[in-house]
Amino acid sequence: MEFRPIISALTRHKTSSVLVIIQIGVTLAIVVNATFIIKQRIDRTNRPTGMDVDNMIVAVVRGIEDDYDPLASILRDLDAIRSMSGIRAVTTTNSVPLGGSGSSTGLRSIPDESTASVPTGTFIMTETALETLGTSLVAGRNFYPEEIVHYVPGTTGTPTAILVTKALADKLYPDGDALGKPAYWGSTESSTIIGILGHMQNAWVDWGDTDQLHIRPGMTAYTTHRYLIRTQPGEVDRLLPLVEEKLVELDANRIIKYVRSHRDIVDQSYQIDTLMVRILVTVIVILVGLTSLVILGLVSYHVVQRTRQIGTRRALGATRSDILRYFLTENWIITTAGALLGSLLTVAISFAMETSFELPRLDMNYLLVSILLLWCISQFSAWFPARRAATVSPAIATRSV
Amino acid sequence: MLFYNIQNAFRSMKKNPMLTALMIAATAVGIGVSMTMITLYYLMAQNPIPHKSEQLYRIQVDSWNPMHPFDGNRPERAPNQVTYRDAMAFIDSAPAQKQSAMFETSLIVRPPNPDQLPFESGARVTYGDFFSMFDVPFLFGAGWDELMDTQASQVVVLTRNMNNRLFGGENSVGRELSLNNRYFTVVGVIDTWRPMPRYFDLVGGALDEVNDLMIPMTLTPSMELRSAANTSGWKAEDIKTFEDRLNSEYVWIQYWAELKDARAKDEYLGYLDSYVTEQKKLGRFQRPLNNHIHSVTEWMDYSEIIPMEVKLLVGIGLLFLLVSLLSTVSLLLTKFTGFFTEVSIRRALGASRPAILQQQLVEVVVIGIAGGLIGIGLTTVSLKAMQASVEDAPEALFHMNWTLIGLAILISSLTSLIAGLYPAWRTCLVEPAAELKNL
Repeated sequence: MEFRPIISALTRHKTSSVLVIIQIGVTLAIVVNATFIIKQRIDRTNRPTGMDVDNMIVAVVRGIEDDYDPLASILRDLDAIRSMSGIRAVTTTNSVPLGGSGSSTGLRSIPDESTASVPTGTFIMTETALETLGTSLVAGRNFYPEEIVHYVPGTTGTPTAILVTKALADKLYPDGDALGKPAYWGSTESSTIIGILGHMQNAWVDWGDTDQLHIRPGMTAYTTHRYLIRTQPGEVDRLLPLVEEKLVELDANRIIKYVRSHRDIVDQSYQIDTLMVRILVTVIVILVGLTSLVILGLVSYHVVQRTRQIGTRRALGATRSDILRYFLTENWIITTAGALLGSLLTVAISFAMETSFELPRLDMNYLLVSILLLWCISQFSAWFPARRAATVSPAIATRSV
Repeated sequence: MLFYNIQNAFRSMKKNPMLTALMIAATAVGIGVSMTMITLYYLMAQNPIPHKSEQLYRIQVDSWNPMHPFDGNRPERAPNQVTYRDAMAFIDSAPAQKQSAMFETSLIVRPPNPDQLPFESGARVTYGDFFSMFDVPFLFGAGWDELMDTQASQVVVLTRNMNNRLFGGENSVGRELSLNNRYFTVVGVIDTWRPMPRYFDLVGGALDEVNDLMIPMTLTPSMELRSAANTSGWKAEDIKTFEDRLNSEYVWIQYWAELKDARAKDEYLGYLDSYVTEQKKLGRFQRPLNNHIHSVTEWMDYSEIIPMEVKLLVGIGLLFLLVSLLSTVSLLLTKFTGFFTEVSIRRALGASRPAILQQQLVEVVVIGIAGGLIGIGLTTVSLKAMQASVEDAPEALFHMNWTLIGLAILISSLTSLIAGLYPAWRTCLVEPAAELKNL
C-alpha cells in the first residue's frame, strides 16, 4: 500500500482531519484514565474483608424509657437470638465493621507519649466475636468469658487483654513477636496482646490503615446497642424479618433503629465507588459511541466527495479491495495520529491527577490495550462507508466530466 | 430576515435528518454530561449565604496535645472543634453581638399521635442566636430568645418536614412534644431551608440535610446530650460521669460568631488570645498561640468539602464537552460542504456573503439550542438517577436551579456558535456559480 497518495489526499482536508485527530486523542485520554479509575474503585470495593460479610446481620436497637436496663435487655436478647434456628453466633459490638462510623485511638509498644502512636480502630466485642465475624486467629488465644467487661455508662478502665490484627501487631512490634507483649495506651496503662487476627477491616472504608484494629473484651451496655449476628450460610434473607420480629417481641417499647444484612451496609459504605464506576462506564460508552459515529460520518463524507475519483481509479484498473484498503488505510493513519496525540494527553492528565489527587501512577498497559481497541473500533466504523466506496462503479468516471 | 433564516434552517435540517440528528445528539450529550458534573460542583462550591458570608466567622483555638499537632499532615492547623468548657467561656464573655455554639445529637421523638411509633431523629443543639445569624426562614413562630437560653427552657424548633410528620403540617407553635421523655414546647417551624453546602456544620457532614429538630444547648448538662457527629480527644482522661465529659479536653463543639467589620474581628481575635494566655497560666493550652477565625467562604476552603470524585468528574465533563464540540464542527463541515451547490446558486442569484453566513449561523444556533434543551433534560435525568443510587442523598444537591439552566443554555449556544463559525465561514467563501459547473 502506498502511503504517499493518501497523505497528500489528507492534506487537502486538513481541517477535518486535524479535528478528528484531536477528537480521537481526547477520547483516548478520557477512556484510558477513566478505565484506570474504574479499576481502582473496583479493587477497593473488592478488598478482602476478613469477615463472613454475606452471612451476617446487624441489628441496632435503642431503649426509650428512662428506666431501661441495657445490660439485662442485652443478655436476654442474646439468649433469644442465639436460640433461633439458623443462627450460628451472635455478639454485641460498639460499632459495625465497614459500617462507616466507629472509634479509633493510638497504641504504642513503649510507654512514652512523646513518640508517635500507631493508629488503630477500636472494637469492643464478646468472646463470641471471632465466630460471629468468621475471622480466625493466626496466633494466641481468644478471650475467656470471664474477661468480658460490662461497659455500663461510667465504666472506665483498661482491658487486661486485647486481640489485634496482624497489621497492627506488625506495626507495634516489627519483629513479629507481638504475642504476649504489652500495648500502651498512654504513659502507664497497657494491655497484653493475647491473640493475633489474620485479617479484618475497620469501621471505615476510607481510613488509610484499614486493617489496623484491636478488639477489647467487653459488652457495651448503653441505651443504644448493636448486635452482630452470623447465620448459617445463605440464611440471611430468611432470618432478617424474623430477627426484627423477635426483637420487637422481646420488648416492644424500644426503637428498632435497623435490622439489615451486613452486605447491605458494606455496599452502602462503598456506594460512592459504585456510583463512580457507573458514571465513568456511562461516560466511556457515550464517548466511544460519539467518536465512532463521527469517524463513520467523516469517512462517508470523504467517500461521497471523491465518488468521481474512485470511479476513475476503478476505470484505470483498481480493484474493489484496493479502494476498500485505501479508505481503511487513510482511516488508520488518522486514528494512529490521534492515538499518538492521545498518548501524550493521557500521560499529561494522569500526571495532573497523580499530583493533585494523589492517585496512583497510570499503568501503561491500560494505554496500550486502549490503543489496540481504538484501532479496532475505528476500523469497524470506517468499514461501512469504505465498503460503499468499493461498490462505486467505474462507469461513474465517464459521467459528467 | 431572521424568520426567513430560521425557516431556511429548518428546511436545511430536514434535508439531512441523519446528520442533523447526530449533531443535536452530540450537543445534547455534551451538555448533559458536562452540566451534570458542573451542577454537582457548583452546588458544593457555591457561596450559600452571599450577603453574610464575610460576617460569619468560625472560631478555632488550639487546645490540643502539647506534643502532637491536631493534624499530623498539617501541623499548623488547630483542632476543627472546641471543648465544651471553652465554648461556655466564649458564650459568657466573648465580644460578639451574636454568637452560637452548636453540636449535633440524636433524640427520641414520641409522636403526639399515639398511632405513630417512637423514632430517633437528629437534632441540632445550639443557641437562640443561631436563627438570626444563619438567616433561618420561619413558616410559623420563631426561634427561642436569650431568656430561654439562660433558663434552659424545654423548647423546640421543627423543620417543615418534621412538622408535617408530627402535626400534619398545621401551625404547631405552642404544642407539646416528647423528646427523650421530656416535654418540649414547639416555638417555631422552619420553612423549607436547604443550605447547600450545610456551611455551619462542615464537620458533621457538609452535604447533609439540616437537622429536623433544634433545642437549646443549655439543656446539655441536664439531658446529658452527646455529640452524634465527631468527638476527638488526645489526653488519657478518666471520664466517669457526664460532668467529667463536659470538663474534659474532648473537642466536639462548633463555634460561630457574627462580626460586622474589621474592628470587631480584631477585637474578637484579641479576646481569644487573652483567653488562651489566661488558660496557659492554668496549665491548659500548652501549644503555641494558634487561634483562628475563618469566614464562611474561608472555612469552606479550609474544610475542603468538595470530594476528589466531583473535581475529577468536572474535569472529565469539560473534556467531554470538548469532544462534543469537535464532533459538531466535523459534522458541520461535512454538512455544509454538501450545500456548496445550493449556496453557489443563492450567491449567483444575488445573496450576499453576510446573508449566507447569517443563515448558516442561525442554523447552527438552532441546533445548539435544540441540543441544549435536550441536554438539560438529560442532566435532570442523570442527576435523578444519581440521587436514586445514593442512600440518604441530599435533595438539594441533585437539583438544577435557574442559574444552572441558564448556564446550560449559554454553554450550548456558545459552543455551537464556536463550532459553527469556521464551517459557516468556509461555506460563504464559495464563489457564485462556481459549483454549478459540476452539476
